[in-house]
Amino acid sequence: MKPRSVRSRESLLKLMATPVRRKYFETLRRMLGPSGLISIREEQFFLVLAIAIGILAGFCVVLFRVAIATARLWLLGSSMHPSAPRVLLVPALMGILIAFLAVRYFPRVRGSGVNQTKGALYIYDGYISSETVVGKFVLSALAIGSGQSLGPEDPSLQIGAGLASALGRWLKLSKERLRLVAPVGAAAGVAAAFNAPITAVLFVIEEVIGRWSAGILGAVVLSAISSVVVERWFMGDEPLFRVPPYHLDHAGELLAYAVLGVVGGVASLVFVKIIKNLRPRLRRLPQWSQYLQPGVAGLMIGFIAIWYPQVMGAGYEWVDLAMHNRFPWEVLGIIAGLKLISTALSFATGTPGGLFAPVLFMGAMIGGSVAMLEQHLFPAIAVPVGAYALVGMGALFAGILRAPMTSVFMILEVSGNYSIILPVIICNTISYLISRGFQEVPLFDLLSRQDGLDLPSLEEEREQAILRVEDAMHPTMGRALFGDESIATARSIASGTSEENFLVSLGEGRWSVLSRSALLDPAQEENSPVRLLVRVRVPRLYQDQSLDVALRFIKDRPMLPVVHRGNMDLLIGVVSVDDILRAYRKAGLAEPETAEVS
Amino acid sequence: MDGRCQHCDNDTHVWTIQDWRPLLTLSLMIVLGFSFTSLVVSSYNEKQRALAGQYYSAGMRAMENNRPNEAVDDFETALVYSRDNFQYRMKLTDALLASGSTSEAMAQLRAFWDQQPGDAQVNLKLARLEAQRQHVDDALRYYQNAIEGIWPERTDPIPQRFGVRFEVAGYLVDLGRKDQAEAVLLALAGVLPTASPEQGRLGALFLRNGDAEKALAAYQSNLSSESRNPAAMLGAAKASFALGSYVTALRYLEELKPETSESQTLREQIQRMETLDPFAREATVRIRTERTMAAFRIATERLARCGVPFAQALTGVATDSNAGSAKDAAQWSGFAKWAEQLAPMMNERKLRGRDEAIESTMRFAFQAEVAAQKNCGQLTLDDEALLLLARERMGAN
Repeated sequence: MKPRSVRSRESLLKLMATPVRRKYFETLRRMLGPSGLISIREEQFFLVLAIAIGILAGFCVVLFRVAIATARLWLLGSSMHPSAPRVLLVPALMGILIAFLAVRYFPRVRGSGVNQTKGALYIYDGYISSETVVGKFVLSALAIGSGQSLGPEDPSLQIGAGLASALGRWLKLSKERLRLVAPVGAAAGVAAAFNAPITAVLFVIEEVIGRWSAGILGAVVLSAISSVVVERWFMGDEPLFRVPPYHLDHAGELLAYAVLGVVGGVASLVFVKIIKNLRPRLRRLPQWSQYLQPGVAGLMIGFIAIWYPQVMGAGYEWVDLAMHNRFPWEVLGIIAGLKLISTALSFATGTPGGLFAPVLFMGAMIGGSVAMLEQHLFPAIAVPVGAYALVGMGALFAGILRAPMTSVFMILEVSGNYSIILPVIICNTISYLISRGFQEVPLFDLLSRQDGLDLPSLEEEREQAILRVEDAMHPTMGRALFGDESIATARSIASGTSEENFLVSLGEGRWSVLSRSALLDPAQEENSPVRLLVRVRVPRLYQDQSLDVALRFIKDRPMLPVVHRGNMDLLIGVVSVDDILRAYRKAGLAEPETAEVS
Repeated sequence: MDGRCQHCDNDTHVWTIQDWRPLLTLSLMIVLGFSFTSLVVSSYNEKQRALAGQYYSAGMRAMENNRPNEAVDDFETALVYSRDNFQYRMKLTDALLASGSTSEAMAQLRAFWDQQPGDAQVNLKLARLEAQRQHVDDALRYYQNAIEGIWPERTDPIPQRFGVRFEVAGYLVDLGRKDQAEAVLLALAGVLPTASPEQGRLGALFLRNGDAEKALAAYQSNLSSESRNPAAMLGAAKASFALGSYVTALRYLEELKPETSESQTLREQIQRMETLDPFAREATVRIRTERTMAAFRIATERLARCGVPFAQALTGVATDSNAGSAKDAAQWSGFAKWAEQLAPMMNERKLRGRDEAIESTMRFAFQAEVAAQKNCGQLTLDDEALLLLARERMGAN
């Protein structure tokens, strides 16, 4: 009988008998590396980690939703119409408890969580403390469950981000990755809360990261999808709202939707202005009042809820009813107004909880109200209340949160109804433009500034002038030199100009720069080709590239060639450091904003 | 350190797993997280189901006690705890309909329909709603969808489909769309088992639609399996009566036990007809004379109530205020002349043995009743009996 080691070797060789298997083993060997350990690039590991973050964030969000529902059951009972003493006392007393815990033990859990996550990304290198996650989970569940007019989505975002941050620290990721891991968790959190991965990805890009970044997109998408899979596993895959069927019968109906866009825009503006004015005033009140403010807000909400229990909590169950014609237009309008006041009170007093759900609630009620009013005034127009409620949600989302792309995709995803896209785009655009026209700073940026933070904003970035290479380049005086032509020819060309540096085309899109002194060096033979003088190549630019790219490439080079994308040997122009700085100065971007302020 | 980021060069980070513990721990966290979440969610779902069931039962009780608004609240709350429950949603639409919230119910049902266009229950409810709103074409479309649709599992769809066919047939009969109703009824007759107790229902619909022959056949099918079924017996009697087979009708009525007010009325009508029929085989000469005189009297009284002066003078009966006005004066004067000619003959002696006079008198009586039926007034039982006799003898409508 053969020895055991020989038998193993033979069986291994047998296993590797086919080319496919050999390739597989070779890959495995490369992965294991010389020391027998797995070595993968950090960005590859980051993608794997994104999936794990998505799964864990999904668990957290599911538990968070269960916690909110359980808190509501315990505190307000199972009925949709809780008794008057309960609605009056529970939000007030729980408000005081929440304020105490927030002020004493969890100071970073106040507010929605979107800004805090953005702050973690840009100020604290992705750091969100574990206490913040725990505090956000518990206090938001208690606040929403006790009837404060707030929603679970933004806290889910912060919980996801905090979890990701903790995992990143534990795995000792590089500083760069640690900074990026928070938005990955944020996307997972909001995706699971909304059951809408595309919305989550867009929202995180628009509101948390604040700029389009291809580097992180893959991880954000993976984590969002993983968390939604987990959420659907436990909670089912039904869309957030059941929308009655909608068909656009006549293009004229879009005008009716435009009216909703105007109403939505005005309502958004009113809400943002109330928050803008109320929040700093409440913050300026004495410190002891911080313990009472959420309680007082709770008491006021409870007072409203005696007649209109719809204002309590996230209110999605009422949205469903509104979409199915359960309330007359006057009632819908009143509920929308009262919800606006309740949410402003809850949010401005710093009660932990999100804005998404109340914003959608207000939008649905306003949409339903406008639909019914239009139906009342113009009975000939087909006005589907459910569709209006849905479009109204998008309008308020676009107007208040100023995330236009998210607002469109969110409506499509939460309803699963793609036929509504045209009214949604029209309505959201109008609402967004009204809001932007009368309120320069978006809500989340406003909140950041009130907190003394200046965080980047995608809206600001969108509005900034983008300088391109074509804005800085100047045409060449003469022609470029060719690598194949003789030094003598090149010298004769150079003698006709006063340029100190010359671009040399080396063929196949390769370029270099040659100084006059190097060209005129008498040590070089005149019959030799110019390429022998060339030492280093220079990168080429295209006229549509950002000027930032040119600045990055130019370093200490005297100039860079700007070539045609279809023929990279064709020189269009030249860019120098002076050209770039001149272009920046012309656009007013050369001096930093801080310098102006100081 | 469990894992580290090595800066191998300026551009590339290589993350090396020196030990499997972090990945194992991460995996373990996922497994534990899954188990814990499963546990919590299953307990939560159980609680939610219990609450949903509790509110659903309360809603059902409220419906039973005829408190639809309360039922709406209960079903809505039940749906908060069991959002996807189809049964709850259907009950909610029932409660909404009962509370008069038709548009809300419609919105709910349309949302359902959008999700499940082939669901028979949803289509049936939509059909009923559209029928209520008098959208006949929509109602018929939904009825047809319901017949062809999918019924809930664990229920036998065949009787449900028969039920819908009956409903749509009844709807069409009520609308007076005879041809469409006949087509649906014939289709139903084609698929309904011969011995089915539903044959009686089919007979009733045929009868209401004016097809007494098919109605009688359906009732007879029913009686072949349930020979003493009183409803089928009465139906067969009515169908026979409508076909003019009074003897057959009377035979069914005699077999009918117990007698109902309807059967009694029918029997009296047939008997009255018999007492007015001078052409009956068993009638003696004297009886024929008496019946002819009675028919003349009934017809002239009818003309008198319609405002024909000669008839009024003859009978002493005044114009009936509810009789309406006679539209064709020339026609009435013709009847007046005819009555004037016949009146002297109306005694036993002059009529006895004079068959041509009896026939002429009866023709007058029949035509006068038919004309009066078309133009004025309400019928007495005697008028009805004469009309039926007219139909039998003259084929008049």
